[in-house]
Amino acid sequence: MSRFFRAGESDSDETESDYSEELSNSESEDHSDSDSDDSSSDDDEATKKTGRGRLFEGSFSDSESEDDTVRVVRSAKDKRFEEIEQAVNSMANGQKINDWVSAQNEFDRANKGLQKAAGIISQTGVPKFYIKAVADLEKAIQAALEKEKSASKKMNASNAKALNSMKQKVKKNNRLYEKEIQEYEKDPENYAVEEEIIEEKPKVKKPKKVVVSDSEDDSEAEAADDGFTPVGAGGKSVEFNQENIYKKLKEVADARGKKNTNREDQVRILEKLLVVANSPYQKIRVLLALVSAQFDFAIGASGYMSIPLWKHADKYLNNLLTILEANPEYIIKENVPEEEETEKDRVSQNGEPVLIQGSIVAFIDRLDDEFTKSLQNIDPHTTDYVDRLKDEVGLYSVIVRSQAYFTRIELTDSISRTTTRRLEHLYFKPDVVIVAVENATAALLPPSVAKPSQDSSALIHELCVYLYKNATSLLRTRAMLCHIYHHALHNRFFVARDMLLMSHLQETIHQADVTTQILHNRAMVQLGLCAFREGMIKEAQTCLQDISGTGRVKELLAQGLSLQRYGAATPEQEKLERQRQLPFHMHINLELLECAYLTCSMLLEIPAMAQAGNSPENKKKVISKPFRRMLDYNSRQVFTGPPENTRDHIMGAAKALSNGEWQKSMELINAIKIWELMPETQKIKEMLGRKIQEEGLRTYLFANASYYSSVGLDQLAKMFDLPLNSAISIVSKMVWSEELAASIDQVSNVVVLHHVELSKVQALALAFADKAAGFVEGNEKLLELKTPQQTERPKKGPNANKEQATGKQQQQRTMGPRGGRGGRNQFNNGLGNSVRGGRK
Amino acid sequence: MPSNKELSAALDIEGTVPIHSVQLDAMVVLKIVKHCRESIPATVTGQLMGLDVNGVLEVTHSFPMPKNNQDSEDDGSNYQVQMMRCLREVNVDDNSVGWYQSTNMGNFMNQSLIEHQFEFQQALSKSVLIIHDVARSSMGNINLRALRLTPAFMKLYKEKKFTTEALTKAKLTFSNIFEELPITIRNTALLTALLYELETADESVEVSTSHLTTYKSTASAPASKSVLAPSFDVLDLSLDPYVAKNLENLMDTIDDHHQEQGNYAYWQRSVERENKKKAAYLLNRKTENARRAQSGQAPLANEDVDAMFKVPAEPSRLDHLLISGQIDNYCKQINEFAGPTLGKLFAVGELQK
Repeated sequence: MSRFFRAGESDSDETESDYSEELSNSESEDHSDSDSDDSSSDDDEATKKTGRGRLFEGSFSDSESEDDTVRVVRSAKDKRFEEIEQAVNSMANGQKINDWVSAQNEFDRANKGLQKAAGIISQTGVPKFYIKAVADLEKAIQAALEKEKSASKKMNASNAKALNSMKQKVKKNNRLYEKEIQEYEKDPENYAVEEEIIEEKPKVKKPKKVVVSDSEDDSEAEAADDGFTPVGAGGKSVEFNQENIYKKLKEVADARGKKNTNREDQVRILEKLLVVANSPYQKIRVLLALVSAQFDFAIGASGYMSIPLWKHADKYLNNLLTILEANPEYIIKENVPEEEETEKDRVSQNGEPVLIQGSIVAFIDRLDDEFTKSLQNIDPHTTDYVDRLKDEVGLYSVIVRSQAYFTRIELTDSISRTTTRRLEHLYFKPDVVIVAVENATAALLPPSVAKPSQDSSALIHELCVYLYKNATSLLRTRAMLCHIYHHALHNRFFVARDMLLMSHLQETIHQADVTTQILHNRAMVQLGLCAFREGMIKEAQTCLQDISGTGRVKELLAQGLSLQRYGAATPEQEKLERQRQLPFHMHINLELLECAYLTCSMLLEIPAMAQAGNSPENKKKVISKPFRRMLDYNSRQVFTGPPENTRDHIMGAAKALSNGEWQKSMELINAIKIWELMPETQKIKEMLGRKIQEEGLRTYLFANASYYSSVGLDQLAKMFDLPLNSAISIVSKMVWSEELAASIDQVSNVVVLHHVELSKVQALALAFADKAAGFVEGNEKLLELKTPQQTERPKKGPNANKEQATGKQQQQRTMGPRGGRGGRNQFNNGLGNSVRGGRK
Repeated sequence: MPSNKELSAALDIEGTVPIHSVQLDAMVVLKIVKHCRESIPATVTGQLMGLDVNGVLEVTHSFPMPKNNQDSEDDGSNYQVQMMRCLREVNVDDNSVGWYQSTNMGNFMNQSLIEHQFEFQQALSKSVLIIHDVARSSMGNINLRALRLTPAFMKLYKEKKFTTEALTKAKLTFSNIFEELPITIRNTALLTALLYELETADESVEVSTSHLTTYKSTASAPASKSVLAPSFDVLDLSLDPYVAKNLENLMDTIDDHHQEQGNYAYWQRSVERENKKKAAYLLNRKTENARRAQSGQAPLANEDVDAMFKVPAEPSRLDHLLISGQIDNYCKQINEFAGPTLGKLFAVGELQK
C-alpha cells in the first residue's frame, strides 16, 4: 500500500479494516440504530483523520477548477445563482479587456437571471456577489469614460456606444441597490467574505489556518445538546446533531458546484453528519450527498480521481447499498417528486416505500469510469497498476450488489446499465479469472446478494441474454459484441461467427459510436485469432484483414495513440482519443496479432503468387497488401541477415515456402517466440507445420506445373512429407476448382498435367471483360459522386448508354447464333432500359 | 474557291431540299477504293465532285489529294484549285460536294476529322463525307459510309461549348454526332452495257474482271450476279484476327475513356470542394449576421460570393463524346461481324461431320 504513504496518508490500513469490519457487521447483524451508530463512529475517527490529511494535501493546490461535470442534485436557488454568477464573471472579464459590447450582453444576462430568481431573492436578499459586481462595474465605466476622453485613440464605434448605454443602464440599475452598494463600499474587502458566511460556504484562507465559520447556526446547535459531537478545528467547535442534520445537508447541497466552495470541508461536514445520523433515512440522505461530494473533488494534473478518494466513494457506496438492503422500504429513484419538507425523518407507513431522490446507477457509472481513467493513467509496468487492478474486485462487487438491488426494486434501465458494466468487466477474461473474481465477490458480499458462478460461460450467457431481452439497442449491440468476443476467446469460432452474421452487426457498425466500434474491432480481431487457433487460415485472414491490414491497428483497437500523420488532429481530438484508450490489462497483444495475420497472409499469398506466375493481370490480385509490401521490401535488400524479429522470421519462411523448402519455412515459423503467448502452443505449431506442407505442395505445383507432363503422386507426397491421401485430396481440390489444368490418373497414380494456352482472342476477351468491368465501375462511381448542379440527371443518359453498349457486347459473345441481325434492335431496346434503370 | 461559290449560289435557286441520300458513280467508288487500298496503312483523303439534285447528292467524279507532306497547307489547296481548273477545262463536273477518307477498322472518330467536316459543312451546307474502311472491306463486302454532321452538333461545335448542360439541351449523344445517309451506286449506261457484254464473253475476260464482284452485294447496280464468277472471299475462315484487332482497338479506346472519366471525376471533386467552401462561408456569414442582428448592428454587406469561389470550368465533353462514339462503332462492328460469322462456323461444322 505504498501509494498511501506517498500520498501523505498514514491511516489507510485502518480505513481498510474498518471497511471490512463494517461489512462483516452488516452481514452478521441486524441493523439497529445504535449498532450502526457504533460502527460509523468507528469509521468516523478514521475518516476524520483522513479528512484532515487530505485537507492539507489538497490545500496546497487551492485550485477551484469547475471541471466537475456530474451533478446529481442541484437546488433551484443554486442553479439560478450560478447563472447570475457566471454572467457576472464574464462581465468582469469584458470590462477588464475593455470589451464593452460583451460586458453589456453579460450585464443584461445577469439582470435577467436576477429577475428569474426573484422568488428566491425575496427570501435571501440580493446576492452579494451581484452587488459587488455592479458596484465595480459602475466604477469601471467611469474610469473608462474618463480615459476615453483623454485617450488619443478612440475606441471603435460599437464599443463606445455600448459603453455609453451601459453607463445609463447601470446608473438606473444601481439606484435600486443603493443601500447594499454603500454597505459594500464601506468595506469592500470583507464584503465578499461575509457573503461566504451567510451562504455557509466555509472557506480556507491559508493552509495553516482552517476556519470553519458558521455564525448563527452555532447558537442553535448549542441550545440543543443532544448527540453533541465536538470537533476541534482551530479552537472553534462545530456541532452536529439530529436536529440540524437536514439543515446542514441542505447547506452543503446548496454550496455544491459553486466557486470558492471548499470541497474538503464539505466532505468533512458530511462525514460528521454521517456519525450523527441515526435513522436509515438520514443515513441514506447523508451518504448520497457524501458519495457525490467525493466525486466533486477537482481532478488534479493526473487526470483521474485520486485513489484514496475513489476508495472512499467505493466504501460509502457500499455502505449505502448495505443500508438499502437492510431497509427495503427505502427506495432511491431518479424521478421522485421533490419533497418540500425534507426537514424531518421519513419512515415508511403501512409498508409504503419511501422514495428518495438519487441515482445509484450514476454513482456506479462514475465509479467505474474513474476506475478506468485511473488505469489509463497509471503506468502499466509498475506495481501501482497491479495494486490498482486489485481494486477491481471491490468495484465488481459493488456493481453486482447494485445490480441485485436494482433487480429487487425493478429498475430495468438501471439493471441493464449495471449488467453491461458487469459484462464489460468480465468478457475479456479467461475462465479461471472470471471464476476467481466471482468467488472473491461472493466472499465480499452478503450471500443473499451474490452467489458465485462457477461456469463463466453460463454467467456471460445469462448476462447477455438479459441484455438482449431488456436493454436498449446500444447496450444490446455491446452485449452481443462482448458475447462474440467471449465465444471467440473460448475457441468457439462457429458460434461466434454465426452470432456476428445473424445479428447483421457489420452492416450497421459504422454508424455506431466510437467505443462500440472499438469493441467491434476487438471482437473481430479475437474472432480472427480464434479462427487461427482452430487452423482456419482463410477465415482468420479475412477477419484480421480489416484491422491488421490498415496499419492503424493501435488506433482501431484503442491500444495506443497512432502516429499523427498530416498533423491533422487537434488537441481536442487527441484528448478524446486518449479517453478512449483501453486499460492495459484489456489489451490484445499486437505483436501476436500481427504475427498471426502475417502467417495467415503468407499461407494464402505464396500459393496465390505462384499461381499468378508471370502474367501481370493476375499479379494485381493482392490478398494482403502489407504482406506484399514487406515481402517486396525484404527481397529488395541486398543482404538479409539472420531473422531477428517476428517479421523477419515470417518473411524468411515465406521465401523458403515459395522455393519449395517447406522444412526451412517450418523451422523459421516455429522459431517465432511469440507463439508462446497462445494457449496450447505445441498444437498450434503442429497445425502450422501441416499447413505449410500443404501450401508448399500447392505452391510447388503452381510454380512448376509447366515443366512436367505428369507427376507421380507418391513422389509428391514424399517430397512434402504428407500422407498420400492428403496429397491426392489437395491435388483433386486444385483440379476441381480449376486452379490447375490437370487430371489424376488413378491407375498409374500420377497427375497428368495439361498445357493449355489461350488463343489471342481468348486472352483479349478475358482482358476485355476486366476492362469492361472497370469501365462500368468507373461510370457508376462518376454517377455516385453527384455534383450539386442539376445537370447531373441527364448525364446518366449517355453514360448509361455506353455501359449498355459494352454490356451488350459482352452479352453478344456468349449469346450464340441468335445474336445475328437482331443485335441492333436489341441494342436500341437496351438504351431504353438502361435509361430507366439509371433513374432508379 | 470562287468558282464553287458561284455554282452553289446558282444551284440554290432550287430551294433548300435537305440531302437524304447519296448516289455514287461506280467509277468514283472504284477510284476511292483504289486510292485507299494503294496507300495502306496511311489514311488518305480526296475530293468529291458532283451535284445535289432534289435531295440526292450525285457524286460523279473524285480525285485523290496528294499525301500530306508536312511542307505546307496551301500546297494541298493549291493542288486542289489547280485540279479543279483542269477538270473544268475538260468539262468534268467541278462542283465540290465533299470529301472522302480511308480508315482502318472504323477508327475515324477524331478531332481533326470532325474539324475538317465542320469546315466543309460550313462552306458547303450540302457536303458529305465518305468513309471507306479498307480493313473491313478486305473481310468481304465493301464498306462505304456517307456521313454528315447533325445540325445540333454543328451548332454546338460552332459555339465550342461542350458542357453537360449544353449537351442535354441539344439532346446530343454520341449516337447523333453524325447522321448516316444511304448510298446507292449507279452505273452509266455504257458500263451496264459492258457488264452485259461480259456475261456472254469467254473465260479469259471473266478472270480479268473478277475483282469487281466484291462490290456486288452493296452495289444495287443492274449488273446481274450470274454474270461473273462468284467470289468466295466471304467464306474466309480466318476470323480471329478481325475480332482480335477490334478488341484491341476497343480496349485502347476504353483506356482513353478511362482517362476522360478521371478528368471528369477530378473536376467533380474540385467543384464539390469549392461548393463546400462556399456553403461554409455562407453559413458563417449567416450566423455572423444573426449575431450582429441580435446585438443591434447592421448586417455585413453582401459580397459577390460567386466571384470569391471560382467553380472550375467543366472540361469539354467533346473528347468524351467522340470516344463514346468510337466505342459504339467498335461494338457495332463486332456485332455485325459476329452474326454472319457464327453462321459460317456452323456451316463449316456441318461440312466437317
